[in-house]
Amino acid sequence: MIICNNCGVELDDGILTCPLCGKSPENGSISGEIPLTSPSQVIHLHKKETRKHLWELSGILTFSGIAVCTIVELIINRKLQWSLVSDVSLLSIWLVITLVMYFRKRIISATAGIMVTVLAALFVIDQVAGGRNWFVQVALPVTTAVFVASGIIMALYKASYFRGLNLIAAAFFVLAGFCIITEMILDNFSDGTVNLRWSLITGVSILPIALLLLFYHYRLKKGNRLDSFFHI
Amino acid sequence: MKSENIKSFETKGWLKLDNAAKLFPAIMSDSLTSVFRITATLPNPVNYKALREAVEITSKRFPYFSVSLGSGLFWYFLEFNNQMPRIQAEDVIPCTAFAAKRKNEPLYRVLIKNRRISVEFIHILTDGGGAIEYLKSLLYTYLTLTGNQISYHGDIILPGTPLSEEEIEDGYNRFFRRLPPPVKLVKAWHLPFKLNSMPGMNVLRAEVPSQDILDMSRRYNVSVTEYFTAEYMFALHEIFVSWRGNSRKKIRKVLRIEVPVNMRKKYPSRTMRNFSLFVLPEIDLRLGTYTFEEILQSVHHQLQISADVKQISRFLSSNVSHEKQFIVRILPLFIKKMAIAAIYRGLASKRWTGIMTNLGVVTLPAEMEEMVDSFDIIPPPPNSKVKLSCGFVSYKDKMRVTFCNITGSNEVERRVLTHLTQAGIHVKVLNND
Repeated sequence: MIICNNCGVELDDGILTCPLCGKSPENGSISGEIPLTSPSQVIHLHKKETRKHLWELSGILTFSGIAVCTIVELIINRKLQWSLVSDVSLLSIWLVITLVMYFRKRIISATAGIMVTVLAALFVIDQVAGGRNWFVQVALPVTTAVFVASGIIMALYKASYFRGLNLIAAAFFVLAGFCIITEMILDNFSDGTVNLRWSLITGVSILPIALLLLFYHYRLKKGNRLDSFFHI
Repeated sequence: MKSENIKSFETKGWLKLDNAAKLFPAIMSDSLTSVFRITATLPNPVNYKALREAVEITSKRFPYFSVSLGSGLFWYFLEFNNQMPRIQAEDVIPCTAFAAKRKNEPLYRVLIKNRRISVEFIHILTDGGGAIEYLKSLLYTYLTLTGNQISYHGDIILPGTPLSEEEIEDGYNRFFRRLPPPVKLVKAWHLPFKLNSMPGMNVLRAEVPSQDILDMSRRYNVSVTEYFTAEYMFALHEIFVSWRGNSRKKIRKVLRIEVPVNMRKKYPSRTMRNFSLFVLPEIDLRLGTYTFEEILQSVHHQLQISADVKQISRFLSSNVSHEKQFIVRILPLFIKKMAIAAIYRGLASKRWTGIMTNLGVVTLPAEMEEMVDSFDIIPPPPNSKVKLSCGFVSYKDKMRVTFCNITGSNEVERRVLTHLTQAGIHVKVLNND
């Protein structure tokens, strides 16, 4: 009779792998694939399966949407024009879902992948729509600004030990900056000059909210973490 | 002639959820798992091969447990899957959730470690009363397979014996009569401690000699359950009185403990599915503070009155009549599920301060008592309002108490156990390994 060092359970002679922990009862080395040895592993497996099912469902919806749009336009116009825009949009949304699902734990790779997907989709749409060539002047800089702004917020979130309302205030400041940059890009594209109007109004309106949040966080209620505050 | 229930189970292969079970699929989550564990500790390390064989044999005798959760248009249901439970190693934290919505996933499991055999059931399937019968039957088979001679099996359900109609019945529906609803309760005070981050359940087990507790209860002329409930209530009372924190938390001034009652003892039923209700002894702190003796007397009288079969049947009537309402029956499942979860979060979970499960006295035939050292019960993890649940079970000359705590404070456990030692009862805190 052998006793598994890990589980303390008696195993009959000749059993090389403990069926409970998947380890060799004598030296504790893992041999072969570990079965579902503990209750929490079943939960992990179930979550993985659920994600896979959702991904498959999103694939079915996306590709049937693409097929429907393409066939409808082929029947009506006998050529492909607007359906290309919807096809590219649907495909890019599906790629984003895929990236989020499969790179959940590698945020930087996921974000980079999403950025490339969005830029590629916008480039193709610009080419298909034909004419104004807005990709280089508007889509590229605005998309980059969106990702830089999100990157700053994510970095702040990662770096801060105490995740309270101060993070939301910081996000508001970043948003104000993003609005100003966006208006500059749009102004430059439309008439070549920069004349800031709405973004300044937005920025000035956001400022007191951010200040209030900072006041609440640093002067009144330090201790309110975001997860407990929003009950996440 | 077989009852409708058994026929429908054998031919159709599915069962309706009983009245109590209908709550759990709507509220269960990774933290509020609705799973409880009963453990038997043997004198020697568990033999895996014999246990596996015993589980195979025993689960055939309990076909109504070999089910998985299915969802229909209006209700969840239990679908026969002909599978035996998984035999697994214990997780670090007990009462892990089941992937109950996974296809063909069993709703109970057998766990082993060292000398311990445990069964974990999701409350959808049965309550402590049903689970202990399964575990006793499993132990009987396991012990005979490992070469022990057991000549007298007592009331243990043996493998191969015919299925009785009563085992499968929904006791709530069988004994339902329309009665006036129970009195509405105000919300109770809750422990002010901060919750641990997930997964953060601490389990503390302690052992006390049954005789000491019995003597103490006799001295006050109360039952063991009443004595323990009073100890628990007194600890909560002391924490309430000494708490100097946020005054908003003190607006509610009622301390109330949920004490489940095994309805099999109130009605002639041997169902193996859920058949328990609860009584809710309380003390009102608007009336002033109490001594332990006052609390004990109050709890004693309240339990005597409210555990009376007529009084407790009002809860049964109220619960079952909700499920029988036409409007409730025609609501689609997803709406029902949201409504049940909202009612539970908003009302039900705030009605009591603590939960105390009493599995009662576990008895085995004399020969088997030599072969099983002890029993433990781990109650389902508490919700985020109640924060602590407590369970106890007596076996041979020992009583074992388990506290499941999801906060960073062990104030309640400390106060309960210290008060017991002050009363001259020997308390031994047990190692979880």
